[in-house]
Amino acid sequence: MNSTSRARLVHLLISKSIVEALLIAAVAVAFFFATTNPYLRGVLDAADKGAVTGWVVDESRPHTRVEVQLFVDDHFAAAAIADQFRPDVHEAKRADDDWHGFVFNTPRLSAGNHEARVYAVHSSGSGTRRTLQLIGKPYRFRIE
Amino acid sequence: MITDRSLAAWEIVSVTSSVLIAEWILSASAGRSKLIVAIPAALAFILVIYSHVLRGEKARDLGFRFDNFLPSLRLLLLPMIVIAGIALVIGFLSGSHPDFFRWHAERLILFQLGLGFGWGFLQQYVLQSFMNRRAQIIWGRGKASVLVTALIFSLLHFPNPWLMLVTFVGGVVWAFVYQKQPNLFALALSHGIMTWAIVSALPPSALNHLRIGLKYFA
Repeated sequence: MNSTSRARLVHLLISKSIVEALLIAAVAVAFFFATTNPYLRGVLDAADKGAVTGWVVDESRPHTRVEVQLFVDDHFAAAAIADQFRPDVHEAKRADDDWHGFVFNTPRLSAGNHEARVYAVHSSGSGTRRTLQLIGKPYRFRIE
Repeated sequence: MITDRSLAAWEIVSVTSSVLIAEWILSASAGRSKLIVAIPAALAFILVIYSHVLRGEKARDLGFRFDNFLPSLRLLLLPMIVIAGIALVIGFLSGSHPDFFRWHAERLILFQLGLGFGWGFLQQYVLQSFMNRRAQIIWGRGKASVLVTALIFSLLHFPNPWLMLVTFVGGVVWAFVYQKQPNLFALALSHGIMTWAIVSALPPSALNHLRIGLKYFA
């Protein structure tokens, strides 16, 4: 193999790598936007041995109620619809009406430190794909 | 200056990565559309063909020939019988009865065998005429290049464990025979028939519909 052919092959290998890297980046960006709803807003307000509470609104569809799932210590605990009365969210102009709160009964837990996370369920791909999007920040609490 | 061996290794890695990108990243995010998967596949084929041209490889060198069809088939016959026999025994031991119409039961078996030959030809072309030949540039003819070719073939079937096992064994046989008698038609015939035998003999649950990459978990 002469040096010209060798140089051509190297150029092709580099070009191919660049095209593939760009393709993967494009797919990753498209996948992110397909599986993420940038209009979700919400807060996990509190968690204790009795309940986990907060609110969530989809600002792109402010009159729909968002499906949420509670995970405690990384384990699924419960699913619900965020349709509880939260006039404070409406008053703070974060929602168009009073009904975007969620309340979960905290599952039976051992004494010690725990962590609650609430995720909004986001459907994409005409409902064939469902992804979870963290609402607010994880809430750490202690049971005596 | 890059050496010929380094360049051959780079070529192997490049084509392998294209297949892995198609199997793992694109097919997972593309949903039902297969079109996007065709992009890395097309890039890989452009590289393979251009590499043949730049290296001055002729079709006959690559295995597009008929003069050694029967000698190649003769070398393949015994391993094929042994592997098919082992697959049948494993199938019986696991309580599965052979079903020679199981492989895409919705299609005519002759049509499916034709597709198997075509798909096998394509795989053997990339595996032997490209991977095996590049491996020989690095390690020369013999055990090392045969094993590397088989390992790559097996890796491309990750994470399906049974398929990885049979493709490794098949990969060793095909790479060895190709180095002795390079004939893609005999290898494709063997590939098609062995796929039929394995699918017919092994329990369907073990092969998971021959799924590989992220689709294995679907």
